[in-house]
Amino acid sequence: MIRRIWQYIYTSLLRSWLKWLLRKSTGTCELQRICSGSKPGATMTKKAEYSLQSSKNKVLREALETSKENVEKHVDQILKEKEIKPHSDQLFKANLHICLLQITGYNQLYVCVEDLRKEVFNSDNPKHEAMLLKLWDLLMPTVKLESRVTKQWGDIGFQGEDPKTDFRGMGLLGLLNLLFFSENYTAESRQVLSRANHPKLGYSYAIVGINLTEMAYSLLKSGALKPHFYNSVPGPPELKDFHQFYCYLAYEFNKFWVAEEPESIMHFNQYREKFHNIVKTHLQDPDVSLTLNAACN
Amino acid sequence: MSKFVVCSVIFPAIIISLFPWKNEPCHCLLQGLLSILRKLKSTPDQEVRILLLGLDNGGKTTLLKQLASEDISHITPTQGFNIKSVQSQGFKLNVWDIGGQRKIRPYWRNYFENTDVLIYVIDSADRKRFEETGQELAELLDEEKLSGVPVLIFANKQDLLTAAPASEIAEGLNLHTIRDRMWQIQSCSALTGEGIQEGMNWVCKSVNSKKK
Repeated sequence: MIRRIWQYIYTSLLRSWLKWLLRKSTGTCELQRICSGSKPGATMTKKAEYSLQSSKNKVLREALETSKENVEKHVDQILKEKEIKPHSDQLFKANLHICLLQITGYNQLYVCVEDLRKEVFNSDNPKHEAMLLKLWDLLMPTVKLESRVTKQWGDIGFQGEDPKTDFRGMGLLGLLNLLFFSENYTAESRQVLSRANHPKLGYSYAIVGINLTEMAYSLLKSGALKPHFYNSVPGPPELKDFHQFYCYLAYEFNKFWVAEEPESIMHFNQYREKFHNIVKTHLQDPDVSLTLNAACN
Repeated sequence: MSKFVVCSVIFPAIIISLFPWKNEPCHCLLQGLLSILRKLKSTPDQEVRILLLGLDNGGKTTLLKQLASEDISHITPTQGFNIKSVQSQGFKLNVWDIGGQRKIRPYWRNYFENTDVLIYVIDSADRKRFEETGQELAELLDEEKLSGVPVLIFANKQDLLTAAPASEIAEGLNLHTIRDRMWQIQSCSALTGEGIQEGMNWVCKSVNSKKK
């Protein structure tokens, strides 16, 4: 209760007084102090994002809504609004530019990911079909698929004879993640598959992968992935960066599962939740950067 | 609950103390409210264990989420099981949604014990697997631990144009030959929510009649 009152007083009154006081004493505005004094990455970008969001100035708030192409224009507008001469503080301009690319890029990435999630896997679309067959070839290089509808799909962890019904609420996004993992980390994905096919300790590789896509998607949607992307991508995060994060989850979940030795697959959700909490804890570290690092294992 | 207690008990009490000449009717009101509260407290919701089974992609998880009024747009295949508790008609329904893929069907039996009602979900549009789903249901009805347990069959996905009507499914599954338990088939769409309430009403009714 006291904390809430304090927070209210701070955001509505004290923050602006403090900003005014610091502006008068240092001769720099809040954004300048953030972009010249903070550590680049999540620390700086998150502070800049908060500063812009809570600004009373429309020009500053509008900069958060812009697209990648217009970031430069908005940086110039902010400099003009804050009466900062570009050549007097080069570092500020460069850092503000990066911050805005990261902030707006994150929002655009979400839109792009959401579109792919909503796109339903369609057997009549040759592109979709080709991706599915490619996934098989990458995971099972020595085994030929006997037909398009076959029990063999179970060998890579789909539920029935036709994977099309397994993508569900994750749509094409689920397939793209599975495929990206196999294309870019072929050896690692095969290793994960062989462990997932363990007769006792195993799980269904593909549907757990679709489940982990849901985890990655919900972390992106809630904003929890911001620090990770702000630290690991010095510009707008792109779809491939989202796929990379999925690869991290797929690889790390497998290690976690094997180490925990669950009694049976029926306990999946309980271990999934435990793993989810570990990831969320990592994401609270301001220096977080979660990338698949197979060499260390 | 606590807010309700505060409002219903303290508010009339304040009125009585402020307007002593209006004491009588208010006093009655207070007494009435108190007795309702006592009744509420003395009969906690009866717990009902519901088992949700059926082939994969039948719509069990969507149904579960609909029952709990949760978002159904991000559903993924169920690995293992999901469980949710829902309050309905004086019951606390503990609903167990067990994954339906062939690989984990052998685990279904681990969840049979103490089941009050079995809900079996069928994808009415997946005609190719009617035989498979019929076999699974027949095996369930033969299980000793499920003997006498009322069964509700949801003929799901009626929102799809290709869905078979409930009557056709009932005939295909020979439901009319079931004599050892109460049973019901209900057409529904877990996606739109249509038919679910009717099905759940039957569930509560069958629990009540079993009790007697």
